[in-house]
Amino acid sequence: MRKLPAALAVVGLTVVALSLASCGGGSDSGGKEGGTLRGTYASFAELDPTIAYTAEGLTAMYNTYLPLLTYAHANGQAGTEVVPALAQSLPKISKDGKTYTLTLRKGLKYSDGAPVKASDFASTIERIFKLNSPGSSFYTAIVGAEKFAETKSGGIPGIETDDKTGEIVIHLTQPRGTFTNELALLYSALLPSDTPAKNLTADPAPATGPYAITKSEPGRGWSYVRNPQWAKTNGELMPDLPSGHVDKIEISVVRNKATSVNEIERGKSEWMQSILPADLYNKVKDKFEGTQFRVEQPINLYYFWMNTSQPPFDDLKVRQAVNYAVDTAALERIYSGSLVAAHQVLPKDMPGHEPFDLYPHDMAKAKELLAQANPADRDITVWTDNESPNDEAGAYYQDVLSKLGFNAKLKTINADVYFQLISNTSTPDLDTGWTNWFADYPHPNDYFQLQLSGESIAPIGNTNLARIDDPKLNAKISKLAEEQLGPGQEDEYAEMDREFMEQAPWTPYGTNTVSTFVSSDINLDEVIFNPTFGQDLTSFQFK
Amino acid sequence: MDTRSPWYLAYRRLRRNRTALAFAALFALIALFVLAAPLWANNVADTGPNATHTLDKVEVDGEAREVVNREGKPVGPLWFSAGGKFFLGADGRLGRDEMVRLMYGGRTSLFIGIVAALITTLLGTTLGLLAGYYRGWADAVIARTMDVIWAFPVILLGIALGVALATSGLQIGPMHLSGSSIWIPILIIGVVYTPYVARPIRGEVLALREKEFVEAAVSQGAGSLRVMFGELLPNLLSTVIVFFAIGIANSMLLESIISFLGVGVQAPNTSWGTMIAGGFELITSSPLLTVIPGVMLLLTVLAVNVFADGLRDALDPKAKLRLEAHAGIAEPEGTPV
Repeated sequence: MRKLPAALAVVGLTVVALSLASCGGGSDSGGKEGGTLRGTYASFAELDPTIAYTAEGLTAMYNTYLPLLTYAHANGQAGTEVVPALAQSLPKISKDGKTYTLTLRKGLKYSDGAPVKASDFASTIERIFKLNSPGSSFYTAIVGAEKFAETKSGGIPGIETDDKTGEIVIHLTQPRGTFTNELALLYSALLPSDTPAKNLTADPAPATGPYAITKSEPGRGWSYVRNPQWAKTNGELMPDLPSGHVDKIEISVVRNKATSVNEIERGKSEWMQSILPADLYNKVKDKFEGTQFRVEQPINLYYFWMNTSQPPFDDLKVRQAVNYAVDTAALERIYSGSLVAAHQVLPKDMPGHEPFDLYPHDMAKAKELLAQANPADRDITVWTDNESPNDEAGAYYQDVLSKLGFNAKLKTINADVYFQLISNTSTPDLDTGWTNWFADYPHPNDYFQLQLSGESIAPIGNTNLARIDDPKLNAKISKLAEEQLGPGQEDEYAEMDREFMEQAPWTPYGTNTVSTFVSSDINLDEVIFNPTFGQDLTSFQFK
Repeated sequence: MDTRSPWYLAYRRLRRNRTALAFAALFALIALFVLAAPLWANNVADTGPNATHTLDKVEVDGEAREVVNREGKPVGPLWFSAGGKFFLGADGRLGRDEMVRLMYGGRTSLFIGIVAALITTLLGTTLGLLAGYYRGWADAVIARTMDVIWAFPVILLGIALGVALATSGLQIGPMHLSGSSIWIPILIIGVVYTPYVARPIRGEVLALREKEFVEAAVSQGAGSLRVMFGELLPNLLSTVIVFFAIGIANSMLLESIISFLGVGVQAPNTSWGTMIAGGFELITSSPLLTVIPGVMLLLTVLAVNVFADGLRDALDPKAKLRLEAHAGIAEPEGTPV
């Protein structure tokens, strides 16, 4: 038996020692590996990827349940890029834009050790329809999906899978330029095919991402540990996705946001998911910005809708008058500086966004336009929810409309049922009101198709609150929806933004920011805020 | 032998209770304060309770100051340095005049308190009379219904009804009350407190109906209605008056609780409860927004309760003696009043 030369042995031992050190101690950013991250949420999140549609749910499951594709783990614009997750690469799209082909990475496993199969994609999409998921509409373009949505049985013929090769072929009824984005939504995150068609929030399904949810107590909190299969297989198979720094994450629900702030300041927790309470926002910002606090910009728009299908808002001049009357500067102040004023459909950071303002605040002009229109019906109801400061935005809007000459009555509805009520077209007196829209994905179609296309007007679950139905603009939305997004399409979306604002179905007033607030133990510079998913739990690292 | 009426004797006893009278005067002052709301709004503050001033400036000692600063913090009390405008400052990011809202909010709170107490007293007295006089199935139905309402904690029942009705409103026959109507909290409060009046009244009626004067009325051919409202009710009047007074305080408190939780008075209407709720969000930076309506509510409820206590002592001196005997501090029997 030959002996290793002494020098080689020393080199070998050094390499081993360094490898061990990198596993257990430091990292590139100089922070610690391991530890338990303690976070707070202001409300409990749905912990079922098929059902969850709130920002809370998206943040909670970004690193737990992986779709075939996902969004890059990066801040700002870079985080809007779709990248492969469980799939080997981005989909191959047929020339007619109706067939998407993907291949599942080989050897993937769920956190319980079961293999991830291509057929799980088909059962996951079926589960979306079985549960009437809020994300159903993103997948109805798949051949046979609409029928399955009605019958809930018989499978979806538009999805072909091969467990041996891992190939997944999706046939669409018509080209859909947003489908790649939709394959990166959490709704389509793969779950084992035997996952029951019921809300699994209390008993979360096995994970494919770096963290698995191990305990869930609805209303109180939940916790994560590292997914054992990530270290064994999944992490190596998806090297572009981060593995995370902390070993354990404990989330508790603390309804009082001021308490959450206090807990971070006292070092009792490391992070709060919710936005800061309005009266503490500036205090915390002034004290901790740059060290523990950072303003984040998800893609969203806050606006007042006007029901264009009935008087008085069926008159263009009335709608334009309202746009001139609302002062976005006042609303910025009502939102304590967290809102960035905007007066157009496409929000900042959305592809196609070109800033403009057709209606700079001018009360005199607003009154002149209203005098020209002279609407016979001036009794209107203004709707808003009861969450601050949206309720104050509603009260401000009602006051503006009163000053303009309307007999405006404010209707403040509990936030839990607000959207359910205003999206039901049979609800009486739906004249005008407040709403907001956080982008499902960074594609301009998300703002036009659902909220401004005549096709989206529905008796229940109506998302076109202004009920605008302009045939010319409808055709333009449909045409662009079939095309893959590129610079040409972005220009067309920008033009359509202006065309819709000329019709003034809404009075947009701004994009709201959120914040990341962490304890002094966390390295804020490393924390990633993805514009779609929010804070990336894999990026939290102790100093 | 004193031949003066029991009402006159009660009045004399009340007049001698200086504490009760002082708090009655306080209540009268508060009532005057809130009734003067339009005068203050039109002649001093020059603004309405719902008019927003987010971007407006107010002149303070010749210097223009923002009503709401860029961080969303409202101006604090200016007292008379701006000619009475924003006397108590602005109410929050909408920049509404806190003093004007306090006065108008007080009107709402008092109105709800008085009307809800009236409903409670009328309903409770009528049901208590019917149940106690007729007994049998009428008593069974009324008493069990009251038991069901009683079984719910008042605040929880108020919140549950408030949530349901604030959204859909209330249809009473051909009349529809919208969810934002202040009649919704009035009806909720009026109904949830009814058992608290009906049950003791029923108990009193059960005892009174066995008395000789009732038998005498019946033997003279008096009908049921005549006996209930002509013979029994006058004997219950002192109890009813005390219940009404206490009911005002309780109703105002419940209104403020359900409004604080967002299911009572709906925006843009204001009450002291909604003002406390609105100010609570800014409690660390502008605590007066919560404290001032809170103090007004406290003083009003205290004034009504102390006066109601004095009224009870005056109308039913034996009750006081019974209570004091129970506490071991009773004056000897026969002490002149």
